[in-house]
Amino acid sequence: MYILGILFRRLIQGVFVVLFTALIIFTLLRVVPGDPVRLIVGGMAPDSVVEQIAQKMGLRDPIPVQFGRYLWLLGHGDLGQSYVRPKTGAVASGAEFVDPTKSQMASVGQLILTRLPYTLQLATCAIAIALIVSFAIGVPAGLAPGRWPDKVAFFISSMFVSIPSFWLAIVLALIITVRLQWLPSIGYRDLTYTILPAIVLSVEIIPFLVRTLTVSISQLMKEEFVTAGEVRGLPKHRIVSRHVLRNASVPLLNLLGVQISTLLGGVLVIEYIFDYPGLGQLTVNAVLQRDFPLIQGIAILTSFIFVFVNIVVDIVATSIDPRMEY
Amino acid sequence: MNVQSDFAPMALSVKTATTIASPAVRIWRNASRSAAFRIGLVVLILLLAVAAFWPLLSGLDPAQISVSDKFKPPIFVQGGVWAHPLGTDQLGRDVLVRCLVGLRYSLIIGGGSVILMFIIGCGIGLISGFWAGRIDGIIMRITDAQLSIPVIILAISILGVSRPTLGSIILVLSIAGWPLYARVARAAALSERRREYVRGARILGASNLRILLLMVAPNILPPIAFVAVLDVARMMIFEGILGFLGLGVQPPTPTFGNIISDGRKYIISAWWIATAPGVLLGIALMGINLIGVSLERARNSVYGGDQ
Repeated sequence: MYILGILFRRLIQGVFVVLFTALIIFTLLRVVPGDPVRLIVGGMAPDSVVEQIAQKMGLRDPIPVQFGRYLWLLGHGDLGQSYVRPKTGAVASGAEFVDPTKSQMASVGQLILTRLPYTLQLATCAIAIALIVSFAIGVPAGLAPGRWPDKVAFFISSMFVSIPSFWLAIVLALIITVRLQWLPSIGYRDLTYTILPAIVLSVEIIPFLVRTLTVSISQLMKEEFVTAGEVRGLPKHRIVSRHVLRNASVPLLNLLGVQISTLLGGVLVIEYIFDYPGLGQLTVNAVLQRDFPLIQGIAILTSFIFVFVNIVVDIVATSIDPRMEY
Repeated sequence: MNVQSDFAPMALSVKTATTIASPAVRIWRNASRSAAFRIGLVVLILLLAVAAFWPLLSGLDPAQISVSDKFKPPIFVQGGVWAHPLGTDQLGRDVLVRCLVGLRYSLIIGGGSVILMFIIGCGIGLISGFWAGRIDGIIMRITDAQLSIPVIILAISILGVSRPTLGSIILVLSIAGWPLYARVARAAALSERRREYVRGARILGASNLRILLLMVAPNILPPIAFVAVLDVARMMIFEGILGFLGLGVQPPTPTFGNIISDGRKYIISAWWIATAPGVLLGIALMGINLIGVSLERARNSVYGGDQ
């Protein structure tokens, strides 16, 4: 089984990538100035208290020791506990001091798991919208290079790639939610709250998809198998739908693999703006509160998703085009 | 007719000159013929000129507060005044001047970070691809690891508490963006390594470093640099996002991000404060993207689409 060998090698590489990611983010957080303990106990607490708690939390140990301890727990499936979020849900502040060494803090794994489904839902919606629109624009463009469908595609993708998504989110929320009241969007109550953020995200993705699709289709149309299909008397729509699109989906999948972390980054920002209860809000707040375990957990999750999606992309791509090898 | 045949040899020599020109020159010539490139260039130059001179000419200070002038609408809306073509914000500051100052920072950060990430990324990529072997494996896993963390998480984690400055923002964005350049430069160096001229130079006794810096790099880098133009636009958007989250260049210095984030609070009554910077940023991005896409297309046609 050739494919199993590849899978095994990719998994080993993947483990290394996730470990590297953990090491990078772990070190960065501890090297960059900004003491989480100071934020936990509040600005009024004397330095001796800060020092005492920091030592109790193990934050004054050498970084390799801290990292080793973190990996040990990670190996047991434990991402640690948040520094600032107690289990009750309220965020601790200097006024009501919660001792982070005690077990009343929320577990990072739990926090991420409750938010992740919302983020996945948003990302899936966005990709679905983006794919539909990109195929509608990109396929005709690829079939008529240099003619008007190509120009329309070029114009739309140049427009979309030039719109700052965080600004578009604000403007659409104003026009569609507040003024016209067509779609709700701030916060989350039901599925309809996902639509507007998903549209904003898809605007961010569409230009890349359209460009890849147009280029690969116009190149594929010059291939011999297309001419062979015509000679055999196959109707054009059948050549395109059965043979060209099948091959054109490979570069599209590869693009998705490379861009998955950009997409995730985009999701986080858009979620934050729409007050959408996914990982975005959690991440931004975690960073602002120096909640190290939470930031690490999220970074490890995103690198895991990156590795996982790329392995899936490779497998699917090989099954579409068996000529590929690694 | 006679005259034309006299000119024929000259036309021929011009033609040979263009075919001999280096790929970089051909890409540039090819791109500069397209309409998109020219439109983009004109838009960008106009914006640069306005951003450079209007704040001086108008004599308005982007930080000057004038409470009696607050929430003046833009000129094309009823109640607008010519003194403030795009209106004023909640403190009576001129929106246009603030946006133009923001545009300066945006361009400096976008351009600066792309230049820096190009140098870091291509440097590492060239080394990785040219020497191949074990270093290559390690470097590629590191780039994978960094590609797997979203730029924005990396950027906000670093800028989160340390007070962001122009320099630190440029540095953070280039740290976040170098892996893609490393990958592209590595792939190019890997294929370049096997070329005839590299072996020839090696036989003649040139050192690896000499071959890399004087022969391989000048061959590989220009096409990558052309496509990097698109990244300037991408980094300008990131600068906007950072500013919006309060992690950009700090107020009172106006940036697109912090103007939009301020304006968002008043968006229902004074929509122009948050809208104007977005439109201006969008126009600037459009100019840069048109130039970048034309360069990319020209590169693809010069290289036959195989790079």
